[in-house]
Amino acid sequence: MNAAIEVSNLSRHFGDIRAVDNVSFTVTEGGIYGLLGRNGAGKTTLMQLLTAQDFATSGTIKIFGESPVENASVLQHISFIKESQKYPDDFKVKHVLKSAPWFFRNWDADFANSLVSDFRLPTDRRIKKLSRGQLSAVGVIVGLASRAPLTFFDEPYLGLDAVARQLFYDRLLEDYSQHPRTVVLSTHLIDEVSNLLEHVIVIDDGRIIVDESAESLRGTAATVAGTKTAVDAFATGRRVLHRENVGGLASVTVDALSPTDRAAAAKAGLELSPVSLQQLIVRLTNTSEKEFEQSA
Amino acid sequence: MSTTITHSPVAHETPSSDQHTISAVQRIANVAKLHLVNRGAVLWLPLFIMSVIWVSSMLIWWIVSVLIERAGGSPDGEGPVIMGGANSFLVIYMLVVAVQAINLTFPFAQGYSVTRRDFYLGSALTFLGLSLFYAVLMSGLAWLEAATGGWGLNGYMFGLGMLGIVELAPTFYVYLLALLLFFFVGAAVAAMYVRWRAWGVVGFFTALGFLVIGLIALATFTDNWGVVGEWLVANGAVGVALWSLIVTAAAGVAGFFILRHATPRA
Repeated sequence: MNAAIEVSNLSRHFGDIRAVDNVSFTVTEGGIYGLLGRNGAGKTTLMQLLTAQDFATSGTIKIFGESPVENASVLQHISFIKESQKYPDDFKVKHVLKSAPWFFRNWDADFANSLVSDFRLPTDRRIKKLSRGQLSAVGVIVGLASRAPLTFFDEPYLGLDAVARQLFYDRLLEDYSQHPRTVVLSTHLIDEVSNLLEHVIVIDDGRIIVDESAESLRGTAATVAGTKTAVDAFATGRRVLHRENVGGLASVTVDALSPTDRAAAAKAGLELSPVSLQQLIVRLTNTSEKEFEQSA
Repeated sequence: MSTTITHSPVAHETPSSDQHTISAVQRIANVAKLHLVNRGAVLWLPLFIMSVIWVSSMLIWWIVSVLIERAGGSPDGEGPVIMGGANSFLVIYMLVVAVQAINLTFPFAQGYSVTRRDFYLGSALTFLGLSLFYAVLMSGLAWLEAATGGWGLNGYMFGLGMLGIVELAPTFYVYLLALLLFFFVGAAVAAMYVRWRAWGVVGFFTALGFLVIGLIALATFTDNWGVVGEWLVANGAVGVALWSLIVTAAAGVAGFFILRHATPRA
């Protein structure tokens, strides 16, 4: 499989701030990738570097094998509407729908129009006057209808209600199955997208701390609960991501549990429960879940 | 939602399946189309404001001329009445159009994955096109104004009589060169803002201010104001307008290189 994105030793510093700090990873063509992390972790800066909107301090980026910087032959295959995207003054939704096909060769106008009615987006309204959710919908529509070989969604459902969020997932999955491509979804609402993701990249403080398939992340970790003594015995020699004690009871979150481990735990009278992707990432980033959600 | 994705047998969208690559000329033309997709800001609004200035000025002149006639005088006896306003508004407004194009349309075009080079060249093409359009319009109005004896009221707003220009061709050139100057100076200053934010623009104007003061000092201390005056007279309005091409070209080139390394920020 060819690589859609190849990044090696990439850094972007703003003065003393290391927004992206010596990052290396590869994204293979085809697949839905989650770029997860807290606000300010470096997600947007990283995507701006990948789409050549920003310049690297050091390191290399290859998109479809070439540097994207001022490279039209690469950039025309990329769609990236930022969460904070600026629009020309007095631009209306219809102006976006009219101009987007000039820049995205795979643009599907019928699909775009059906999305506009799905999201109930007023096409004659000025972008400035749109609600946060409607603004997100504009980005989602451009991202989906452009069918760019490499599509970035940056916090795509900021301000979207539950119905609209579900709509986004459904449309993304439907269209993705018809027109598979490389999708990078950046978000801090991990549980909402966890079922969509095939691969997870977690960025924290400018560094990549997880780069694994969602399957293996989901499958291996578990929370083990029981009496304190039994839990302690089981946890010995394992990597404990999180621990809670209530009286004589305890629960630990451990990763890399094999079927034998599970059997052993069951035999010791311990209770095993799955860990959600969000919990796991919160544990891995060593931040409290509360803190993580507050950043949302 | 509970289903995880399975790879379907359908071929992926890849750069190679994305067959139709867009040629450089097409990409640059697309940027120009992007600037013009919302005509309100670049055409209807400035034309509307210009018309309001023009019509209201003419109405006031009409009232004044009626009063002069009532007082027993002849409005025509005073010679042609030359009014500015509408034409200078339009030329200056194009600086605003250029600033908006660089400050807002540039970050938007980046969202459409347009390179800085294509964006700048497409913008320059747009500025050239709009300059030609407005120069034709303004010189056309100047011609019509002269042909109707100042709209029948001996009032002149579009002709460049105040600069000593009467004929159609020089009127057109001066408008064209002035429009190009305002477009490209606006674009260069906006590019400074996009790249270095407020301090970049402040720094530039501070440096420019000291440069102008320095030149004034130079002309004063060397007693050369006479030479400057002679130069202006010798070149005439059209000549001076032609010299402005140096500033326009410098701004155009500077804008390109400044924007080449600019980053759209939130």
